[in-house]
Amino acid sequence: MSRARFLKISTMTDGDYDYLIKLLALGDSGVGKTTFLYRYTDNKFNPKFITTVGIDFREKRVVYNSRGPNGSPGKAFKVHLQLWDTAGQERFRSLTTAFFRDAMGFLLMFDLTSQQSFLNVRNWMSQLQANAYCENPDIVLIGNKADLSDQREVNERQAKDLADKYGIPYFETSAATGQNVEKAVDTLLDLIMKRMEQCVDKTQVSDTANGGSSGKLDSAKPEEKKCAC
Amino acid sequence: MACEFNLNFLKELEREAVLEVLYRDQMVRKTEEERIRKLKLQLQQLRWKGARNVSHEYQERSCARCQKSLGLLMNRGAVCNGCSHRVCSECRVCLNPCLWKCTVCYAHGDVKVKAGEWFFEERAKKYPGEGRHETVGAKLLKSYQKLSKISVVPPTPPPFTEAAAGSNVTELRQSKSFNKSVENLFLSLTTHIKKISKSQNDMADRRLLTTDYGQNVERRKQRRSQSDTAINITSRMKSTPSLQQLITGAQNDHEILTKRNCKEEEDITTSPTSDAVFCDGRKHGSLYSLNSTCTESGNFDKANITGEIEFAIRYIFKACILEICIKGCKNLAYGEEKKKKCNPYVKVYLLPDKSPRSKRKTAVKKSTVDPEFDETLKYKIEYSQLESRQLQISVWHAGALKYRVFLGEVVIPLAAWNFKDNSMQLFNWYQLKAKLEKPEGDLIQYSGELLVSARLSVPAQYKNFQFEGKKDQGVPNCQLQVMIFGAKNLPMLRCAGMLNSFVKGCLILPDQAEVKRKSPVLKKEACPQWKHLFVFDGVTPAELQQSCLHLTVWDQSAFSSSDQFLGGAKLGAKESFGCTDLVSQSVLQWQEVLHSPNKWMDFTLLLHSHKENFKS
Ligand SMILES: Nc1nc2c(ncn2[C@@H]2O[C@H](COP(=O)(O)OP(=O)(O)O)[C@@H](O)[C@H]2O)c(=O)[nH]1
Ligand SMILES: [Mg+2]
Ligand SMILES: [Zn+2]
Ligand SMILES: [Zn+2]
Repeated sequence: MSRARFLKISTMTDGDYDYLIKLLALGDSGVGKTTFLYRYTDNKFNPKFITTVGIDFREKRVVYNSRGPNGSPGKAFKVHLQLWDTAGQERFRSLTTAFFRDAMGFLLMFDLTSQQSFLNVRNWMSQLQANAYCENPDIVLIGNKADLSDQREVNERQAKDLADKYGIPYFETSAATGQNVEKAVDTLLDLIMKRMEQCVDKTQVSDTANGGSSGKLDSAKPEEKKCAC
Repeated sequence: MACEFNLNFLKELEREAVLEVLYRDQMVRKTEEERIRKLKLQLQQLRWKGARNVSHEYQERSCARCQKSLGLLMNRGAVCNGCSHRVCSECRVCLNPCLWKCTVCYAHGDVKVKAGEWFFEERAKKYPGEGRHETVGAKLLKSYQKLSKISVVPPTPPPFTEAAAGSNVTELRQSKSFNKSVENLFLSLTTHIKKISKSQNDMADRRLLTTDYGQNVERRKQRRSQSDTAINITSRMKSTPSLQQLITGAQNDHEILTKRNCKEEEDITTSPTSDAVFCDGRKHGSLYSLNSTCTESGNFDKANITGEIEFAIRYIFKACILEICIKGCKNLAYGEEKKKKCNPYVKVYLLPDKSPRSKRKTAVKKSTVDPEFDETLKYKIEYSQLESRQLQISVWHAGALKYRVFLGEVVIPLAAWNFKDNSMQLFNWYQLKAKLEKPEGDLIQYSGELLVSARLSVPAQYKNFQFEGKKDQGVPNCQLQVMIFGAKNLPMLRCAGMLNSFVKGCLILPDQAEVKRKSPVLKKEACPQWKHLFVFDGVTPAELQQSCLHLTVWDQSAFSSSDQFLGGAKLGAKESFGCTDLVSQSVLQWQEVLHSPNKWMDFTLLLHSHKENFKS
């Protein structure tokens, strides 16, 4: 599957969607997780600092267009996104990390105007490895508050290198202007959908292996094994 | 002072904030569960579509999905890699240029993906011991409700708006004691996560939580999630009454009957074979408490039982057919552990009938411990009978020659099954269990019904006599008349319709004297109608109070000297089959017979299969 496109849709309370995808934002307190998610779901900016109490989440529905292997347009799926927001403070750690294992993908955020928040990315990575649903979950690294260029403490090269080291995408975003916000989330969603397809392909192959052995009972002719389509 | 006040206020606010999130999450979860349930239902319908016309007999060449017949040269169909069934070209979905699956296998995969199974599978690899689908949010909410006992109160609406909450918290976020109290809350919550996950399979626990919601919507959902997880059958059986209560409760409150369901309901009520036969059957608590039986005669080996089996059960009211759709098994034990060999197949009996007539088998799958059968086994059976039946679904390994190894079984008492509830038609995983070594001694088994009518015939001059006391001063000898109408659902010993049956009556008087009667033999009848009258002369009502009438049904043997016992029932003033607090209907009716001379009283007696319990 190659590139995917996303569209917004509004109705949210019914079960009319194809996938429930749970994402989780993590990173130091004050890097802009809550503001970022608010921008993503409601396309608004809230300059007030509202401490997240332990955990929270926001929701959004998007349409995911998968593409066939040859680039042909594939099916469109409705995706219900549940975006978990966590408190960055240490004292909430046991609670927030408990929620890590329910998420399918992660928005690991730091504040471009805070060197410390960037240094802590490594700690967050190890928290993820320990508590996420698997050892190498899908993650995007996000340097937020890109609009505050005069206060910048982390340069792009530094951050990019770190992301490359982990083999994850990196985006510089601004919840204030909306820059790259959607792109970052869409990229994460794309990664998850790809992983999902791979997992499914794998089971199909193994299903086939199982079925193949029992299929022998039915002395299938070689020509029948070919696809009839 | 002010500080104290603030602290308490904040604690409250804090908890409210987290709970509000957890409750919102619960809404998301419920929508998701509902969506997945619908997906599964659709898949189910697709499966049934294929199963509809397949008889359990060996099928001729036809598409396993649409039933279109397949030719030998043209249009011959092909075998699906997923399920090994032969399907026509229309019933295939191409996954890539060299791989296709049949519609059902494809839909099965599709549902799995859409339900996020890939994620749960991956996660289970890392956290194998934990609840596969349970979320942290759900656990926290449960533990919180349990801790605080606020669970009777339905979820409180969000107590404050985002902005208000925000500003409050902002102002107070510096307070250390506030944070401390929050921490304590979370600590107590998280320490309870472990506890909760341990008691996950505990039905009592679940029920508690379920009723705590106090909302039937919740109940319904809870019930569903119970059936979604592979729960241990015995624990389910133990809690059967309350489970049933839940089901009926939920049904009454939610008229979720679809059009089709309504029609099915009509079918039952207008059916000539009304289920009135069993209207009092419910009271025979002991009859339904049977657990498992050993239906296997002959020798077989037992493997260490592991794994699960996935199947669905439904009843087609119109056609009076019970269908068991066997999907597959996983993690079966090897039939031959040393050779790592396993060729599993599934065998089903509709207990207590253990005759070959009651046996259904799937095909044998070669060399797999995770077989996919996708076969539907059927029984033609009246709805009223289901209550007294148990479905015994066992898995076997077919070794070389006739070597069989028992791989585990599941026994489902159908009395607890609500066939009118669509969600009960869903596929479920069931843990395979070992066989009980021996059927319990006091096990009572159903082997049909006997319809009789009885009256106490009293000479005309004593018509108005009060038959109250135990002494019969001045009461003449009366006559007990028992009309044997017929029997149905008798166990079949040979092929259907070949019974040569008769009834014996044995009236055991208080002094242990026995008066015996016998009906003529009815040849070659599956549902014999003897319409034969047993007359017991010279008995008094007081005597009858202390007497017991044993009625037994027999099959006359053509070749051997001993007749074959089919089933027996007792009529008397005392409960004959132990341990129920409820006085059975027949006992009450018997009293009625003794107290209302000359009045005919109809009985539907359940025949029990233990010959030793009866005199004849
Ligand atoms: N200028 C600017 N301010 C931001 C941006 N993102 C967040 N903020 C501000 O940073 C503060 C902390 O943000 P918040 O989302 O509460 O951080 P959190 O603790 O990670 O959830 C708030 O005052 C936000 O208004 C951004 O992209 N640009
Ligand atoms: Mg926040
Ligand atoms: Zn077909
Ligand atoms: Zn198939």
